[in-house]
Amino acid sequence: MTTELNRAFSSLGKTGATDDQKLPPYFLSYSISDASFVNVRAQFGALVDSTSNHIRVADVQVRLGSPKLDNTHGTHRGSAVHTLQLPITDDREALQRSLWLATNGGYRNALDNYLRVKTEAEVRAKEEDNSPDFSQESPQNSIGKPAPLARIDMAAWQQRVSALSKVFRAYPDVYQNTVVLTVENETDYFASSEGSKIVAPHLQARLVVFAMTRADDGMDLFRARTFEAETIDGLPKQAEMESETKKLGESLEALRKAPLTEPFNGPAILSGRAAAVFFHEVLGHRLEGQRQRGEEEGQTFTKEVGKEVLPPFLSVADDPTLTKYGNTWLSGQYQYDDEGQKARRVDLIEDGVLKNFLMSRLPIASFANSNGHGRAQTGKVPTGRQGNLIVTSTNTVSDAQLRKQLIDQAREQGKTYGLFFEDISSGFAVTTRSSPQAFSVIPLVVYRVYVDGRPDELVRGVSIVGTPLAALKRILATGDKSEVFNGECGAESGTIPVSAVAPAMLLSEIETQKQSQGTARPPILPIPGSEDHSTPGASKEAK
Amino acid sequence: MNRTYLMRSASAAALLTLCLALPSSRAAQPTRADAEKDPVLKAMLTEMDRSMTQLQLKDFEKPFFIQYRIEDVDNFETKAEFGATEGGQHTHERIARIIVRVGDYKADSSGGRGDGSLQLSALDDDPIAIRTALWAATDQAYKAALAAYAQKQAALKQVQTPPQADDFSKEKPIVSLADPLQHQLDEAAWEDRVAHASGLYRTDPKVKDTQHDVEFSVASFSARVVTTWLVNSEGTIVRKSSGLYQEMFAVGAQAADGMRLERSRGTTGVSLKDIEPQESFENKAVEQIASLSDLRKAPMVEEEYHGPVLLSSDAGTDTLRGLLEGGVVATRPKLGTEARTNGPFASSFHARVLPEKMQVVDDPSLKTFDGKSLVGAYDIDDEGVPAQAVNLVVDGKLQNYLIGREPVRDFPQSNGHGRAGIAGPAHPSIGVLKITAIDGLSDDELSHKLIDMAKDRGLKSVYYVETMGAANTPRLLYRVGADGKRELVRGAVLDDLDERALRSGVEAAGKELYVSNSDGEVPTTVLGPALLMDDVTVKRANETNDKLPFYPAP
Repeated sequence: MTTELNRAFSSLGKTGATDDQKLPPYFLSYSISDASFVNVRAQFGALVDSTSNHIRVADVQVRLGSPKLDNTHGTHRGSAVHTLQLPITDDREALQRSLWLATNGGYRNALDNYLRVKTEAEVRAKEEDNSPDFSQESPQNSIGKPAPLARIDMAAWQQRVSALSKVFRAYPDVYQNTVVLTVENETDYFASSEGSKIVAPHLQARLVVFAMTRADDGMDLFRARTFEAETIDGLPKQAEMESETKKLGESLEALRKAPLTEPFNGPAILSGRAAAVFFHEVLGHRLEGQRQRGEEEGQTFTKEVGKEVLPPFLSVADDPTLTKYGNTWLSGQYQYDDEGQKARRVDLIEDGVLKNFLMSRLPIASFANSNGHGRAQTGKVPTGRQGNLIVTSTNTVSDAQLRKQLIDQAREQGKTYGLFFEDISSGFAVTTRSSPQAFSVIPLVVYRVYVDGRPDELVRGVSIVGTPLAALKRILATGDKSEVFNGECGAESGTIPVSAVAPAMLLSEIETQKQSQGTARPPILPIPGSEDHSTPGASKEAK
Repeated sequence: MNRTYLMRSASAAALLTLCLALPSSRAAQPTRADAEKDPVLKAMLTEMDRSMTQLQLKDFEKPFFIQYRIEDVDNFETKAEFGATEGGQHTHERIARIIVRVGDYKADSSGGRGDGSLQLSALDDDPIAIRTALWAATDQAYKAALAAYAQKQAALKQVQTPPQADDFSKEKPIVSLADPLQHQLDEAAWEDRVAHASGLYRTDPKVKDTQHDVEFSVASFSARVVTTWLVNSEGTIVRKSSGLYQEMFAVGAQAADGMRLERSRGTTGVSLKDIEPQESFENKAVEQIASLSDLRKAPMVEEEYHGPVLLSSDAGTDTLRGLLEGGVVATRPKLGTEARTNGPFASSFHARVLPEKMQVVDDPSLKTFDGKSLVGAYDIDDEGVPAQAVNLVVDGKLQNYLIGREPVRDFPQSNGHGRAGIAGPAHPSIGVLKITAIDGLSDDELSHKLIDMAKDRGLKSVYYVETMGAANTPRLLYRVGADGKRELVRGAVLDDLDERALRSGVEAAGKELYVSNSDGEVPTTVLGPALLMDDVTVKRANETNDKLPFYPAP
């Protein structure tokens, strides 16, 4: 890698008839992802897909001009990276040839974009934020141990994954289910013209259970449960996963019978998991560095550094160096980000006051340097992204007390109930200027908690609306136990693994409306296997 | 270590193991009871029966036709570049496609684009799992059919001209059970073989001196076995299985003026036996690499030429495929029009489309030709109708179309050409298209005739196309002098090679047929002759010439 990189760096742009035509790159980096995957998928109680794969991809980053103004400026950010698949063996000639082809393509792309950037700079109005396009950082050197190829006992896991999917046969109204196991072992190789040399492994095993049903009025209802660990041996025992899967089935059967909600404006509790998702979507994305700069962005928090953005008892940090929270493995961990910067803990909000953003090597007005959060999916340009978002509180009460406070709030506000959000799914975070500053998370399991002491009532069709700044300021207190949400986050720089950790939260006010309904009817015939009057879930395979 | 030696000494058997099916007993026609011994078919039939009997939305009509098709696709692919492998991928999945129709044969819910719901199906033969996937898709397809039917009825009221053919043909149900094919591949051996081929540009003594000019050198191999189970509510039960194997090589460079030059070739067949032996494949690859040097040195073609052009049987077949394969199929025309069908031959029924001496037939029962396997051959199409040989063009006139179960005016029945890509809808397609001329000439005779035409018209030079790339761009084009001398030229594109040229510009055709096997949406074969064309345009492509590499190759 370094041979070709050095050769490229010294040769490129040095030929040209006049001095004007010489345009050597000022920065060049190779980021190679050597990844092996195993995928096992079951649906309706049987195996539908089982594959393994080994693939090597190179992202070449070429920058022309100077750190002050280069080919990635503004809307040209995409020109930074050029991607090519590489041979998976260590044949030196083949690797060098492939890297040459990729570098040549990257240089062509960068040159084209740089010339446009120069023209636009002369023609457009002065920008709000005229920070440089690339930060000054010191080179990093870390040669870790490459990850082993992902290998699992295929037969055993095909059986296990199918068995989890088969659990849903006991729930005849769950008419769609998928269980997917993914094991990914990746080694990232990074070399740059600044002298960085990094070899960093990253391993992850993930099992996702997803199931759907439909209410009689056509509303689609889904739930999901995920299990993560560093390696496949770290996943929970089969009995535990089957038990959790059963709970999903029961939950969906209950949900489809639950009454429809009414629009509501009042107090609510978000469970720890729901709060974690909420903070990731509503706050986390808005604290990404690159979102504070650029005419297209909404820049919600750009001018708020040093100001109170949350109640003073809350702090938020993002720490990719954490590997576990309690006994739970964290998805968003990494040692070096995708720009070769060392991962580090960033205190984003301290005692309610905004201190920092998630920074890549794209400087912004208030922060000139990366803080190791430049992340991307292979093939995309790194931008500031979350890792492990940790929300902590100094105003904690027990679950029982939090619930009491909810009821008190509801009574004070003259409401007959407050809401309890047990589980939510992430929607999407809209942070651009051209759309209203709304966010969307999808509540999955919501209860009415009655003031008059009636049992809690499950409702369906709840959709949270409102603007983010307002919602965050309405947190009154939190619970004393944190929960972890592990997941995959998609944004401009692609899909990456993340986590968020938060305690349960009491909000004085949350606004909800009725979710728009599907109009399809439930299936007409009963699901196969349920129409004969045998014990539901009994295995009757005719093998 | 001499890798070539290792490859040659590896037992051929290791690379070429393929268990072929035992022919199913043709003596007695198989029955539904025979079919139900297959757990997949049994599950499909159970769910089909249940759906036909019980599936009905209150106050709406029941389906009048249901079809289930499950395809088991076992696919292996490997690709290599610059002498090293990018790995191999093996996938195995089963995809179910479900069609539900409401209405009746005359007027039903079918749309033009191919309706149907898809689901992944169980890989093991778990009957509940298979049935559940079918159940979910049937429910979806039925509801979609009800909506489509209502919409179609409304649309019919908007037009004056009623449809000129029924929506769905009535066909005799059949039961046919072929054994599933299996294949055993030495995947590692194929990865190595393909890696070696991709590195010839720098290992083979004949071409390694020019390795720095080569910008890409890629080789790939793919092996696919598809087993299809098809049942419909009319009583058709089919199990069929086929293989498709391909080995490809491609190499590219740039001329000094930046023009991109590419060569590629491959073999495509129905079994591993059809793949060229390694030595032959590599020799031909080296020839292609060497030809790049010739192309780099070749002069640019003249700016514009109109006149006689001889297309080799290879180039001629490519041209004929491009002009005929879309035109000889009949598909439902736009609602409310008088048109018979769509495409360039929509109104050519009984009209002359080729010279009188030429004949075109599509015969899917032709499994081999000239010792080569034909990938377009098949017995039963993807709507469960047995394939028929169809005389499309007789003495130059179009007398027939290839059609599936969607009738058009004067063609109320399928002729077994309703073919579907994997998981795709069936639509009419060629299988094995054979184009012949009654008084075909040998290659020598054609070359002489070309020169004669040059002399007759006082032309200093004429053209010969040896092989064609995409979009009428020749890969190997020769300028032929009046003395017969051939000079390689580059940078050309052909024009005016259209339906009119076919109709009235074919001066002569060849005797020998070229075998063109292709794996497109469905595997197809075209067998075609060389063509001596009277008046074709050869002109500069004038493509933007990309910059040469910004720095030299390592």
